Amino acid sequence: MSTVTEPSTPQPVRSSTVLPFWSAVRTIFVLEMKQRLRGKGWYWMLGIWFVVIGFIFVLGTGVIGTMENQGGILFDLIVGFVLLFGLLVAPGLSANAINGDRAGGTLAILQVTLITPGQLLAGKWLASWVGSLAFLILSCPFIFWALALGGVNVQEALVSLLMLAVELGVACAIGVGVSSLATRPLFSIVSTYMLVALLAVGTVIVFGLSTLLVMEEQTVRSSYYTYPEGSFDSSGAPAPDAEMECVSQTNIYEVPNTQYITWILAANPFVVVADAVPYSLPDVPRGNGAAMGYVEGPYYSPGVMETISQGVRSAQAGPDLEMTCEESMGGRQPLPQGVPIWPLGLGIQLLLAGALLLIGRRKLTMPAKRLAQGTRIA
Amino acid sequence: MTNEFGGIVVEGVARSFGSVQAVRDIDFEAPPGEVTALIGPNGSGKTTLMLMLASLLAPDLGTVRVAGFDPVTQAAEVRRRVGWMPDTLGVWDSLTALEVLKTLGALYGMEPAACARRADDVLEAVSLTEFGRQPARVLSRGQQQRLSLARALIHDPEVLLLDEPASGLDPGSRVELRSLLRSLAAEGKTVVVSSHVLSELDEIADRAVFVSRGQSVKSQTLDEAGSQMRRYYLQAEPMSALAEALQSYGVRFEVRGDSRREEFLVQLGSTAEASWLLRTLVMGDVVVTAFAPAGGALEETYMSLDTDRR
Repeated sequence: MSTVTEPSTPQPVRSSTVLPFWSAVRTIFVLEMKQRLRGKGWYWMLGIWFVVIGFIFVLGTGVIGTMENQGGILFDLIVGFVLLFGLLVAPGLSANAINGDRAGGTLAILQVTLITPGQLLAGKWLASWVGSLAFLILSCPFIFWALALGGVNVQEALVSLLMLAVELGVACAIGVGVSSLATRPLFSIVSTYMLVALLAVGTVIVFGLSTLLVMEEQTVRSSYYTYPEGSFDSSGAPAPDAEMECVSQTNIYEVPNTQYITWILAANPFVVVADAVPYSLPDVPRGNGAAMGYVEGPYYSPGVMETISQGVRSAQAGPDLEMTCEESMGGRQPLPQGVPIWPLGLGIQLLLAGALLLIGRRKLTMPAKRLAQGTRIA
Repeated sequence: MTNEFGGIVVEGVARSFGSVQAVRDIDFEAPPGEVTALIGPNGSGKTTLMLMLASLLAPDLGTVRVAGFDPVTQAAEVRRRVGWMPDTLGVWDSLTALEVLKTLGALYGMEPAACARRADDVLEAVSLTEFGRQPARVLSRGQQQRLSLARALIHDPEVLLLDEPASGLDPGSRVELRSLLRSLAAEGKTVVVSSHVLSELDEIADRAVFVSRGQSVKSQTLDEAGSQMRRYYLQAEPMSALAEALQSYGVRFEVRGDSRREEFLVQLGSTAEASWLLRTLVMGDVVVTAFAPAGGALEETYMSLDTDRR
């Protein structure tokens, strides 16, 4: 095959056979966007999206009413739903990027040009990401509305939106990667949904099942306020002048050491977003009026995403082996962030998407040495 | 003729897909400045060979040189010089013909201005100028076929690989395709056309390579094909007189069975022999009403090869 012995073989002119990376990516991006903008499907999806988010927003406003932290809860609700629906939309926009072209006979036409597989994948990914970001932008009216109700600081809002955009990008990258590996568009769309579901639901299931593996008998000391032994009268009611006192008791329970398995949750898109957002924790008053048996001030009422954030933090913290009397009276105490878990989660997601894209890139490199069963190049 | 600086040279190429041996052993040569026909029955490996020439498929065995470069190790060099028109119609439905051409031009690294000029030129060459701003989905099959040809020409390639370019074209467009390909060859470009419409290749091609079951079985120029043993069909009024005359000259003939008209088929070794027979028949007062080659030169070769069309 080598032509080293033939002195007459023309020398390649390198400069003219390499496309500048971004100009090639832009060409593919423009090609994809033109098709998307001229089709009807995307607009229908956007329309349905707007109606659904609007419906949820109105419903949410009605249910939450004039509760404390209304803006925050609504904002959180919208972020949660945008993420949920975004994870449903992004695979649809991205998972037929490559094999759809192959089925349409246009992939090979692109492959005989000077474009490299990496440029092709980058252009396709960018186009599907921008396509799904439109859904995020369309939800902005509701996001701003919720923000206008107050209770959410700017940082929280910005990080939420940024992380939503990043998660949509990850889902699109997974979709594009799968579409370059799977032969049929339908198969790759379903596979992408499965992968996204694996991250969003599978991690929770695995986490739940894994708690059984980290069960351990531990001594739990719990304290509570009660009236002293001798202060009850004959009818069982406490004497009017009796003072409550703090009583502790020690039990041995089987408790899950969730701190060892919380990392399983890390790659969950909801966890990544929730854990990255710097929620401003309200200063919930401790039960210093405990003797009176009630807590003053507003209850700490987190929204959907903040609840997830709190759940992860408490899982990270592991079982509470010592419950003080204050805790028993003080309602739910918001946990401050310990070690952020989202960089790990995002890292796992990027690793998954990157691996898929890398294998896809190898598969798109022509001339092909091996072809999958039933594949036709053109 | 072919040298290291241009054209296509393929030697002993083989390629299989799993257990299916699509190409077993093909030798193929296409010199610059000529139109080379690639002829073979369905499934004989024509498209597979085209894919290898277009740098989309790596051969298992053998060497391929396109414009002097190896499509496997120097794919980009080959791609820059090759225009490929696939046998499938790949269409971006919502894009206009001009947009398609400009996109492809950009992907070949052309400057936008030069690319736009070139797009206008190639659209004119395939007579699609008036459809330049129409979305591709409104084009008819034949028009899309022509757009596909324009796409293959956008970067002014040295080598043109056309897989079934004439399928779906109306007679007028076929004539245009023919003159376009002839003029490209006259410019010194290497043109490879695969087809099984042999009558058409007769008029376009300078040479032909016949493949069957993944093997190249024969390679000949059209001049060679023209001077070989050919069949002629004859008609006369009445046919009985013709039959008598042929028998008296000792020319063997058969009654053609696959035609609507009654015809005799004779095998003649050369055009000289044919003109001798015609003259003799006319001089012998046989009223000859038809005397013509039974098929094109390539068709004769094709039929004479023991290619199985199973």
